[in-house]
Amino acid sequence: MGLNLDFSVVLERWPLFLDGAVMTLELAFMAILIGGAVGTLCAVGRGSSNRFIAALCAGYVEAIRNTPLLVQIFLVYFGLASIGFKFSAFSVAAVALAINVGAYTAEIMRAGFESIPTGQIEAAEGLALSRVQVYWHVILLPAIEKVYPSLTSQFVLLMLASSVTSQISAEELTAVANYVQSDTYRAFETYILVALCYVVLSLVLRAAFWALGLILFPRRRRLGTSL
Amino acid sequence: MKRTLTIATVSVALACTVHAAQADLLDDITKTGKIRVATDLAIPPSGMIDSAMKPTGSDVETAELLAKDWGLQLEFVQTTGATRIPNVQTNKADIIISTLSVTPERAKVIDFSKPYAALQSVVGCLKSVEAKSWDDLKGKTIAVSRGTTQDTTLTNMKDRDLKLARYEDDATMVTAAVSGQADCVATSATIVSQIGVKAPSRPFEPKVSITNFDLAIGLKKGEPKLLEKLNAWVEQNLKNGKLNVIYKKFHGTELPENMRG
Repeated sequence: MGLNLDFSVVLERWPLFLDGAVMTLELAFMAILIGGAVGTLCAVGRGSSNRFIAALCAGYVEAIRNTPLLVQIFLVYFGLASIGFKFSAFSVAAVALAINVGAYTAEIMRAGFESIPTGQIEAAEGLALSRVQVYWHVILLPAIEKVYPSLTSQFVLLMLASSVTSQISAEELTAVANYVQSDTYRAFETYILVALCYVVLSLVLRAAFWALGLILFPRRRRLGTSL
Repeated sequence: MKRTLTIATVSVALACTVHAAQADLLDDITKTGKIRVATDLAIPPSGMIDSAMKPTGSDVETAELLAKDWGLQLEFVQTTGATRIPNVQTNKADIIISTLSVTPERAKVIDFSKPYAALQSVVGCLKSVEAKSWDDLKGKTIAVSRGTTQDTTLTNMKDRDLKLARYEDDATMVTAAVSGQADCVATSATIVSQIGVKAPSRPFEPKVSITNFDLAIGLKKGEPKLLEKLNAWVEQNLKNGKLNVIYKKFHGTELPENMRG
């Protein structure tokens, strides 16, 4: 049983793969941007003294973390259309992924917030920092810095998970792969190539977050160590 | 190896005796007063089992009509897609009526009657959508199942400027149509008319024809008398509209215009 690999027919469709990879990155970017913001707000909301807001945020986090991503995507895609809202597969995919990653971000950020010692906040107040300054410099940025590796890893996972949006006809990398393999009957070669593409995308994403970390956290830039 | 040889010898011997015994298939059918029809009963709406466990479907009714016209007793030989042709080659069945499309490869091993029905591949849209030609479909999103012949055909129509949304399977594609994500689908005419049955609020109908595959009755090679009689029967029942009635009953659409009498 000799393995007969022929990459030529797959490789000559490289523009398709490029389009797919670009869409995967776009999806991940949108979802991380929206989901990151939603998650952070939600983490703040969970600690709120307003019980309604706290319960709402907790409900959202638990509902998302206890259901499969594919089911969530179908709910948003077919659910919205059933009640008359029709969006493109791309926007629905981005929103569904954002909703999903938002819940996980909320839990990670909550850990970050809880790691800030009360004394640190009291010290900032003692130095007469304004409320906004305390939140930004003393709570939010140090909290993010502490959980930064977990956030990075969660966002890379999200980028990989975007592959399931091929189910609702978003033409991202996996959808392209499914199409190419049904066209060329070279399934093994196609998925090897796509796996390599995902590895490259992951490395790109990690590098981007590393660079972003240098910009956001002066300690890393100056001393090369994290908090 | 020895075993395969034995099996081969036995089957050759068997085939010879069978051949000798049944020099003319039509004579044998008339003599026994029974026709054995190979039909796949697991491909609704062509062949299926109804709630009373009785075979039904367009292929089933076609076979019943044939048996009635020829005054014969009907016996179904259950088959699957892959075993349809071997069934007549090995004489387990006399003819195949089982959504068998006519292809040059198959024509090398069996004979085909004149086509009695067609597998119609179409672009179907919501009834309210105005679409009569490919030009009307320009810019509209058409849902397809990834990798099907419809997908390949429409993808290759680059100059027609069609927007395709590819779903993983028929079920997801139909859900997209039912839920309102897609107003047009490219699939078989049968599925198009079933959307309206399952979701009466969103009735779909075939708008633009993609291709038609002829479906014909298959029989063993070298039976000219039976073939001639089948051809005459198909021609007559296309002309009097009986085959169209059966087709419409199960598939929801009429036969292609050039087939109707």
